[in-house]
Amino acid sequence: MLAAAIAVGLGALGAGIGNGLIVNGTVNGIARQPELRGTLQTTMFIGVALVEALPIIAVVIAFMSMGQ
Amino acid sequence: MYDYTYMMRRQLKWMLYLLAILVVGWEFTEYQTFFAGLILGAGISALNLWLLQFKINRIGQGIVDDDGKKRTLGMLTRFGTAALAAVIALQYPKIFDMVAVILGLMTPYLVIIIDYFFHQTELTTRKRGE
Repeated sequence: MLAAAIAVGLGALGAGIGNGLIVNGTVNGIARQPELRGTLQTTMFIGVALVEALPIIAVVIAFMSMGQ
Repeated sequence: MYDYTYMMRRQLKWMLYLLAILVVGWEFTEYQTFFAGLILGAGISALNLWLLQFKINRIGQGIVDDDGKKRTLGMLTRFGTAALAAVIALQYPKIFDMVAVILGLMTPYLVIIIDYFFHQTELTTRKRGE
C-alpha cells in the first residue's frame, strides 16, 4: 500500500509541476497573442501529453503492486 | 486555430485505425489475450487523448473569451481511466494481458510523436500570424 501511495504521489507531484509550467507559458502566450492560439495549443498538447505519460504508468504500477 | 482542430481529427483518426487493426488481430490470430489487452489499453487511451484535446481546446477558448471561469486539464480523470484499465486487467487476467494493457496505454504517445515529426514543418516554417 505504501509503495502504491509513493508511486502515485511522486508521479502526480512531478506531473502537476510540469503541467503547471506548461499551462502557465501557454496562457501567457495566448493572452498576449490570441492569433497564435492554434500553434500554442498544439505545443501545449504535446507537452502535457508527454508529461502525463510517466504518472499514468505510475498509476498502473501502483495498482499492480496493490494487487499482489 | 484551424491547425489544432485538424491535428485533433488526424490523431483520433490514426487511433481509430490502430484500434481497427488490433480488432482484426484479436479476431484472426491465436494471441487473443494479448490483443484483448492491447484493445483495452488503446481504447481507454484513445478516450484519454480525446479528453486531453477537448480540455486544452476549452482552456484556449476560455482565455480568448476571458470569461473568468476556472478550468482544469482533467488530469485526475485520465489517471482514473488508466487505473480502471489496470483494475480490469488485474481482475480478469485470463482475458486481458497486463503487459499488453500497458503497451496499449502508451500507443497515443507514439501516434502524437509520429504525427508531430510528420507535421512539424507546418508548425515551424509558418510566419507569425498565418
